[in-house]
Amino acid sequence: MSTLLAVSKAARAVCADGTDPDALAAVLAWSCGPRRSADALRRRLRDRPEGVGAEVGAALALAAVAHEDGGLAGPLADVALRIVATWTRLGVQVALVGDPAYPASLAEGWPDLDAPVLLAWRGQPPADAGPGVAVVGSRNASAYGTAIAELVAESAARAGARVVSGGAVGIDAAAHTAALGLPGGTTVVLGCGHAVAYPAAHARPGGLFDRVLADGGTLVSELLPEGAPHPGVIRARNRIVAGLAAVTVVVEGGRRSGSLLTAGAAAERGRDVLAVPGDVLAPGSVAPLRLLSEGARPFTGPRDVLAVLGLDAGPAARRVDVAPAGLPAALPDAVGRALARAGPRGVATEELAGLHPGGPGGLLADLTRARIAGSVEMLPGGVRLRTTRPSDR
Amino acid sequence: MSGPRLTVVHTLALAGIDAHPVRLECAVSGGLPGLRLVGLPDAAVREAGERVRAALQRSGFRWPPLRIVVNLAPADLPKVGTGFDLPLALAVLAASDQVDARGLEDLRVHGEVGLDGTLRGVPGVLAVAIGAQRLGAGRLLVPEEGSSVAAAVAGLEVWPARDLAEAAALVSRRIEPRPVRRAGPPGSGAAAGAGAGAGAGAGSGAGSGPCSGVEDGADLSDVRGQPVARRAVEIAAAGGHHLLLVGPPGCGKSMLARRMVTVLPDLDEDEQLEVATIHGVAGGPCAVPSPRPPVRAPQTGVTAAALVGGGAGPGRPGELSLAHRGLLVLDELLETPRPVLDALRQPLEEGRVVIDRARVRVVLPARVQLVATTNPCPCGMLGHPRRACTCRPDRLDRYRARLSGPLFDRIDVHVAMLPVPRARLTGPADGDTSAEVAARVLRARRFARARQGPVLNRDAPWGAVHATASTSARALLADGLDVLGASARAHDRCLRVARTVADLAGADTVEEEHVAEAMGLRLTGLPT
Repeated sequence: MSTLLAVSKAARAVCADGTDPDALAAVLAWSCGPRRSADALRRRLRDRPEGVGAEVGAALALAAVAHEDGGLAGPLADVALRIVATWTRLGVQVALVGDPAYPASLAEGWPDLDAPVLLAWRGQPPADAGPGVAVVGSRNASAYGTAIAELVAESAARAGARVVSGGAVGIDAAAHTAALGLPGGTTVVLGCGHAVAYPAAHARPGGLFDRVLADGGTLVSELLPEGAPHPGVIRARNRIVAGLAAVTVVVEGGRRSGSLLTAGAAAERGRDVLAVPGDVLAPGSVAPLRLLSEGARPFTGPRDVLAVLGLDAGPAARRVDVAPAGLPAALPDAVGRALARAGPRGVATEELAGLHPGGPGGLLADLTRARIAGSVEMLPGGVRLRTTRPSDR
Repeated sequence: MSGPRLTVVHTLALAGIDAHPVRLECAVSGGLPGLRLVGLPDAAVREAGERVRAALQRSGFRWPPLRIVVNLAPADLPKVGTGFDLPLALAVLAASDQVDARGLEDLRVHGEVGLDGTLRGVPGVLAVAIGAQRLGAGRLLVPEEGSSVAAAVAGLEVWPARDLAEAAALVSRRIEPRPVRRAGPPGSGAAAGAGAGAGAGAGSGAGSGPCSGVEDGADLSDVRGQPVARRAVEIAAAGGHHLLLVGPPGCGKSMLARRMVTVLPDLDEDEQLEVATIHGVAGGPCAVPSPRPPVRAPQTGVTAAALVGGGAGPGRPGELSLAHRGLLVLDELLETPRPVLDALRQPLEEGRVVIDRARVRVVLPARVQLVATTNPCPCGMLGHPRRACTCRPDRLDRYRARLSGPLFDRIDVHVAMLPVPRARLTGPADGDTSAEVAARVLRARRFARARQGPVLNRDAPWGAVHATASTSARALLADGLDVLGASARAHDRCLRVARTVADLAGADTVEEEHVAEAMGLRLTGLPT
């Protein structure tokens, strides 16, 4: 039988600067009980007649509320100890809402607005990064959506703003990848606990998550380490994405896309929401177009995003805004111009063949050279100019 | 009568397309009248006794009221089919002194007998004839039906017989054999031969499809737009390379795949004979030597057994063998179940199919050129300019994993296609006709032949291909594939395709330019 004191002692290893281990132990032990959720704790606190009390501090208030239920020792403390051990093993740091290490932009409006009671992260502390740019969209990304996500993320990270997005494939992955190696860096908000490998493609050794950590980025989760990626918690993590960012850019999303939830959470907090105008016929345009009709600002270029943050777009962003610096040397001018005109949507290979003086054979040969040079990339049945640097891929 | 009397008729048994010599020994003795057949006969061979007894009586001969034992030697080789009817009938006639047994000594006999005494062709008569010729038999007595096909074999005297009476008269040398018209010269062969072949293969079932998967008058110029895909077809045809066309439904990939055969050169005489032999054994309608390469386009739901062949008995050629020296067109390759794809792998690599059965191992030739089509993703719309792909990412990942699997590694030329804008579909033809492309293909093949003999670039010895590449071409291949992340096998396949590109250009040396184009045809933005 463990005691809360034992949990508190162990929790010192995972507490971020300024987080009270006693408070964390109480919250953890309480969270391990049946039918408990972070949101239930938040609502209890919100509904307390005396309020949160600025002099007490949110963390201590939480601990007090958790204590009121009593019976936190014994089996619940045992579970809490195991959780702390797992976090310690993974090198996770934890802060409670209101703590100095807890990002202020996420805590804003709490407890009236929903925010995680505890935040667990690997890598750089999320509060250090400052407000970022959320780039959200569907897993099933089109070539256009991927290109826009890369454009937004790259220009933001280059200008020093942190990119924030979920850990999914598609738009999320495109945004994180584009931000790697740039001053702003990137933060991944997981839809599961730190001990769960999801999605498998990103969580495997050398995958996206490892690359983000190696790059000085952050992996964030509100869940206990073994928390499974249920659809409900994946939807809930969208509010963290919005909360960590000063501006949210919705790139692509279907009718019931989670990016609508992110946009909603951002609007609730009074943050800017930008929607990327897309192909009216494409299912991935439903969410951004709906946001536009509801008053979101259209995304017309990276400067729209950076202006919100008070950052200068800089020459780099202006460059990627229009087109790559020059036409690829390996391709004849007519082909290069057609590619530049089409932008991220690319041009069908068959169409380019008609523009190449050497016909299809000459085109195929030149495309190979341009690909080796890294100036173009292939799409299914088509080609486009590359906007991000090959070393980022 | 004292002691059994023995007569021997020489015939042949088919295993796959190989004909093995069989001695039909007939012993006649006193005792309870009856017929006993031994030596691994199958059901059809066992029924021969009934057919022959009726046929003899209808033809004015008598069935001897004696005890008849017939052995098919070697006894351990399975005997299948109705081709032993005529040998059995002649053996019984010789044993009962109704024909001159000496006339059977220098003769091989094969054919089916009807109850009324007429002789019917048997599937595989060409394989039998080739077997007889290889065994050094100078003469082959076969039913008139299908005999013209057998006569295509040089160095073999074919004796056609319409019915049992004529066959008996021929054996006894009472009449001279009629001359046989050789089947198969271009033009005349197709129609006449198709009739004979179809008759011979009556009831042969699923394996007999049309030999050319193309409707009359189909031409490459029917396909609008798609210059890159056409170029890929030309290169694949010239080098015999396997071709994969990937694109959304309606982009013309199947149309193009079915027109591929129109640009292939004619087969030479030996190849024609090989093809006709296989089709004869399968009982298909292409059992007559024809200069056009065969095209097999099995249904999407084709099973591994139907592709590889086999079945009961001697090993019936599957689609892979029926497409020998021609094209195997497989639509929706990724909808094909895994076991079927796996069954394709070895035959594509080795150019032959090996079927192991309890008593025999049959090797059938299967030197095919694969032309496959597939959708770029499960819903088919990936990359479509006007429609959006609705595939879930995990399904897409699994699909992509299959696309880059070991079978796809063996396909030399990959093309990703997109639908042509509607306006261009209704416009005038904008590409070369089949005849124009075929002329270039033929020139390239002759060019390659002068260098490396009658072997396609697909199968040419690696050293011979590699030796003709310039230093810069090799460097581009090594560096480029590294950058683009291709497998080691891709290196080999790319250089072969580059060799074909050079052949089409009439270049002795594979230059950088050719390699670059070949690499463009392998790494075409398919999800890999």
